[in-house]
Amino acid sequence: MNVVTNNDIKCNLGLTGLYNVDDPEIGLNVVDLGLIYELNFNEEEKKVVCLMTLTTEFCPMGESIVENVTLSLQSSFQEYTVEVNLTFDPAWSYDMISENGRAFLGR
Amino acid sequence: MFPALSNPAIKTTSYKVVIPFYIYAALSFLIACILLLTSGGAFLKHYFHPHVLAITHTMALGWGTMIILGASHQLVPVLIEGKLYSDKLAYTSFFLAAAGIPLLVYAFYQFDMGAPAKWGGRLVLLAILAYLINIIMSMSQSKSENVHSVFVFTATLWLLFTVSLGLVLVYNFTYDLMPRDPLHYLPLHAHAGIIGWFLLLVIGVGSRLIPLFLISKYTNQRLLWIIFGLINTALLIYLLIFYVTNVKGLTSIPALLILLATLLFIYYCRQAYKKRLRKQVDDQVKISILSVFMLLLPIILLLILIVMLLYSKGEKINIILTYGFMIFFGWLTAIILGMTFKTLPFIVWNKVYRKRSAAGKTPSPKDMFSHPVFKIMGITYLAGFTLFATGILTSFFLLLNAGAILLIITAALYNWNILKVVNHKPVLK
Repeated sequence: MNVVTNNDIKCNLGLTGLYNVDDPEIGLNVVDLGLIYELNFNEEEKKVVCLMTLTTEFCPMGESIVENVTLSLQSSFQEYTVEVNLTFDPAWSYDMISENGRAFLGR
Repeated sequence: MFPALSNPAIKTTSYKVVIPFYIYAALSFLIACILLLTSGGAFLKHYFHPHVLAITHTMALGWGTMIILGASHQLVPVLIEGKLYSDKLAYTSFFLAAAGIPLLVYAFYQFDMGAPAKWGGRLVLLAILAYLINIIMSMSQSKSENVHSVFVFTATLWLLFTVSLGLVLVYNFTYDLMPRDPLHYLPLHAHAGIIGWFLLLVIGVGSRLIPLFLISKYTNQRLLWIIFGLINTALLIYLLIFYVTNVKGLTSIPALLILLATLLFIYYCRQAYKKRLRKQVDDQVKISILSVFMLLLPIILLLILIVMLLYSKGEKINIILTYGFMIFFGWLTAIILGMTFKTLPFIVWNKVYRKRSAAGKTPSPKDMFSHPVFKIMGITYLAGFTLFATGILTSFFLLLNAGAILLIITAALYNWNILKVVNHKPVLK
C-alpha cells in the first residue's frame, strides 16, 4: 500500500527513519508492514501529521509502536512538531504488506 | 475513509499487573514438580490421596489458572477490542489468589479440611469474583462483541462454578451439605474446571492468537461457535447425567462431543497454519500446536476408561491418575511452556524498549530468553512427561522418580528463562 503524502521528498525522508521502527512481534518494519497510511506536512504550522494503523485494535505493542513512530519522525524533522493519529478504517489486512515484507516473511 | 481516532485505542494493561502472575505460576510449577518427586508413591495409590490432591491443585490453580489470569489481563483487550476495566481489580485478584492457593494446597497435603482449606477456598473464590467483575465490566465497555470474548466470559463462569463446588466440598467435611461423599462429586468438580475453564479459555484465546502469531488470513467464526456449542452442550449433558442418572456408559456422550470439538479445533489450527504468511514457525508456537494434539491423549484415554468401566469391575485407579496427569502435566503444561515465551517477552519488551526502539535497532522480544535453554526444556519436558505417565500406568516407581527429576529440570529451566526475561536490561544494537 502506498503512503499518501503532500510532499514526496519529505515523505521519503520520513519513511527512511520509519524503516527502523519494527513491529516487535513480526520483526518487520512499520512501512513494509503497511501500517503507515498518510504522511503530510503543514509548512505554515511546521507540523508533520502521520496517519497510521495497527495490525489489531488494542494490540499489546500498539503504545510502543506509536511512540516509536513519533520519536522517529521527530528525529527526522527536528524543526517540526509531530502528530501521529491512529485509524482502523480501513482496518489493516495482510494485503497491505509490501513485496519486500512478504519476502521477509518467506512468501 | 481514514478517520483518525481522537482517543487512540493503544492504552494497554500495565506490565506491573501481569508479571506477578507469571512469576507466581512459574514457582508453582517448580513446587508441583518437586512434590511429584517427594510424593511419587501417592501415584501408586488413589487419586483422592492428599498428596495427589495437593499436586493437582498446585497445577490447576497455582500454575494453570494463575498464568491464564495473568496473560488474559493482557490479552482480553485484544480479544474484546476494548480496555481492561480496572488494574486495581486485577491486583486484587492476584493477591487474593496468591494468598488462597498455598493455604488450599497445604490443607490438601495435610488433609486438614478445617480453617486452612476453608480460608484458602474463600480467598480463591473472591479472586475469581474480582476477575469475573473485571471481565464483565471490560466487555460492557467494549464496542465489539465476538466469539473469543464469549469463550472467555463463559469459561470464567465455569471457573466460578468449579471453585464454588470445591468450596462446598470442603465445607461438606464439617457440615453435611451434600447427600453423598465428596468422592462422588469429584468428577463434576474436575471436569467443570478442565473442560469448562481450561478448554474453553484455551480455545477462545488460542483461536485468536494462533492466526495472529502465524500471520494467517484464516478466520472462521462459525466453526468457533460450533465448537463453543459442542463444549457447553457436553458439560450440560454431563451435569444432567450426574444429577438425573448414574449410568456410567452415558458419560461417553459428552466425552465424544469434547472429542469432536477438539478435532474441529485441530482442523481450525491446521487451516490457520496452511494459510499463514509467515513461513518460519518459531519453537514457542510449535510447542503450543503440539499441545493441541496432546489433548487428544487424555480424551482417548477417557473413552477407553469409560469402556473398561462398562465391561469390567474396579475403579481403574492408575488410568484415572494417568488421565489427570496427562491433562495437567501434558496438554496444559505444553501450551503454557510455549505461550509463555510468546507473551511475557513482549510485555517486558514494551516496558524496556517502549521509547528506545526508534533510537536504533533493539533486540526483538524473542531474543530476550535463551533459545538453547528453551530447547533443552522442551526435550526434558517430553521425556519427563512420557516417563512419569508410563510410571503411573505400569505402577513402576523408578519411572515415576526418573520422570519427576526430568520435570523438575524442566521447571528449573523454565524459571531460569522467566527470570532472564523479567530482569532484562536495555541493549541497543
